[in-house]
Amino acid sequence: MLALDDVSMNFGGVAALRNVTFAMDEGETLGLIGPNGAGKTTLFNVISGVLTPSAGRLEFAGKPLGKAANWRRARQGIGRTFQIPQPMHELTVRENLMVAQRFGAGRTDGRRIDEILDLLDLTAKQHIDAAHGLALTEQKALEVGKALAVEPRLLMLDEVLGGLETATKRAFGQTLQRVRERYGLTMIVIEHDIETIKTLCPRVVVLNFGELIADGTPDEVFNDARVIRSYTGDSAA
Amino acid sequence: MTMMRSGLLLGFLAVAYLGVPLLFGGMDYVMSLVIAALTIAGIAVAWALLGNLGGLVSFGHAAFFGVGAYVSALLVMDNGWPVLPAMLAGGLGAAIASVATMPALRLRGPYFALAILAYAHIFKILAVEFSSITGGAGGLLSIPGFPTVFGLDLASKTGAYVLILTIVLAWMAVYHAIRRSTWGLALRAMHDSELATRVVGVPSTHLKAVMLVVSAFMTGVVGAFNAHQISFLDPEYAFSGTWTVLPIAAAIFGGYRTVWGPLMGALVVYLLDQLVFKEIMPSGHQLVFGVLLGAMILLSPQGLMPLLARLGVARPRRETAPQAAAPHATEDGNARA
Repeated sequence: MLALDDVSMNFGGVAALRNVTFAMDEGETLGLIGPNGAGKTTLFNVISGVLTPSAGRLEFAGKPLGKAANWRRARQGIGRTFQIPQPMHELTVRENLMVAQRFGAGRTDGRRIDEILDLLDLTAKQHIDAAHGLALTEQKALEVGKALAVEPRLLMLDEVLGGLETATKRAFGQTLQRVRERYGLTMIVIEHDIETIKTLCPRVVVLNFGELIADGTPDEVFNDARVIRSYTGDSAA
Repeated sequence: MTMMRSGLLLGFLAVAYLGVPLLFGGMDYVMSLVIAALTIAGIAVAWALLGNLGGLVSFGHAAFFGVGAYVSALLVMDNGWPVLPAMLAGGLGAAIASVATMPALRLRGPYFALAILAYAHIFKILAVEFSSITGGAGGLLSIPGFPTVFGLDLASKTGAYVLILTIVLAWMAVYHAIRRSTWGLALRAMHDSELATRVVGVPSTHLKAVMLVVSAFMTGVVGAFNAHQISFLDPEYAFSGTWTVLPIAAAIFGGYRTVWGPLMGALVVYLLDQLVFKEIMPSGHQLVFGVLLGAMILLSPQGLMPLLARLGVARPRRETAPQAAAPHATEDGNARA
C-alpha cells in the first residue's frame, strides 16, 4: 500500500529525515513514535505532499507519488490530520466535511457525511462554526472527520489524542478503532500515549533524529535498547 | 428563498427596472450618474468576487476593463461585429488577458496586488505602442453605440441604464451562485486555512485562477459597455486607476463579502459624492468621500450591508456559535514553539 525508500528531508543543514525506509500492507495499522523532534510530523508532511523530500522514493498503491501536490495526494486516497486542528474557517462542521468529500472523494453523498458525523459524535454540532464553536475534543474529531470525508485508503493521524484527558482519550481511542473497522483503512498513527499505541497498532516504527531505529511489534520496540535510549537519553540502558 | 426575501427582491427589481426610468428617465444628468455608478458597481462585484472568493486583492482591474473596452470597440469598428456579441468578446478578451497575469497567483497579499497593478501598466503601454491597431495615445473615436433591442433603444440614457443594470444583476447572480456552491465553500475556506483545504483535495491555486478569469471576464464586459456608451477610448482613460480605486472603495464601503454590498456601495458612494458632496465642495469633494470611507472602515469594517444587518434593516448573516479558544497552528499545522 505504502512504501518509502531511502527518504530524506533536509531543512538547510538540518536533516529532519535520514534514509527512512519501510513499507505497509493494505489494512495495516502502524504506530509512529519517537521523541519530540524525531521527524514524525515531517514524515507525515512528506507522505501527504505538504513537503517535497530532498531524496528518496515514495510509492502509494503501487504507483510512485513523485512530486504530486498535496491536493492530488488527497484525491489519490491519502487522508491526514494535523497535530493542531486546522478547521476550514468560515465553514460549519458539516460544510467542512462537504468540501473534503466534494474535492477529495470527488462526489457528494449526504448519507456518508451523516455517518461520519454520527461516528465521531459530531451530529449535534454539524451546523456550528468549525473554527470557533468547538471544544478541543470536537476539533480533533473534526480533523478525523475531514480526513474520512476524503474517503482515504490511507489515514494518517497526527496526535489526535494529544491534549485530551485520560477518559476522553480512551473513548476517542475506541472511536478510532470503530472508524478503522467501519472503513477497513490502512492507518499510520502518531501518538505519545503508549497504551493507545499498544491498543491500536500491531506494528510500531520508531524514529529518532530523523532515523528509523526500530520496526516491530509494540512489545519488541518498547523493549529495544535503542528505543529506550532515545527516550531516556540514558546511554547505559 | 423565503416569501419575504422574494418579495423584497421583486420590489427591488420593480423599482430598478420601472421606478427609476419612470422617475428619472427625463433627467439625463441623473441617469448619467446612475449609469456611471452602475458601471463602477459592475467592476466592484467582479473585484469582490475575486477578493472574497479568490482571496486576492487586486489593484489591477483597470487592465481587464481596458482590454474588454478595446477588444469590443475594435471588433465592432474594424470587423463589423454587432455590439452586444462584441461586448461578450470583450469580456472573453479580458479573461484571456488575465491568463497572462497568472504567474502573479504565486504571490500573496500585497505582493499580488502590486504585481497585478504592474500588469495594468503593461497593458496600457501595449495599447499606446500598438498604435496601428489601437489608435495609440490618440485612442479610438466614434465607437458605435448600442443597438435597439425589443423596441428599447439601448443607446438612450434609459436603454443604457437597463443594459448596465442587467449586466450588474447578472454578475451578482453569478457571484451568489458561486458563493453558494461547494466551490464557494472551498474558496471561502481557503483564505485563512489554505493548507487545511489543500490536504482534503482542494486545488486552491486552480480555484483562484478560475476566479481571476471569471472576474476578468465580468470586468471586461463592463469595460466594453463603457466604451460603447461613451463612444470614445484612449489608453489613459481605459486603463485609468479610477477603474480600480473607485470599485475597490465601493466594494469595501458596501461590504465586499456580501452579494449586495458592492452594488449598494457603488450607488451610495458615487451618487453621494456627485450629487451631494460635489455640490457642497466643488473642489476637494473627494476628501469627504475619503473621510466617509475611513469612518465606515472604523465603524463597520465589513461594510454597509453587514452594518445594516446589525441595525436590523437587512438580513443578518448566519449565526455562529460563541467563540472558543483554539490552539494556534503554524503553516504546517504544528504547534507554535
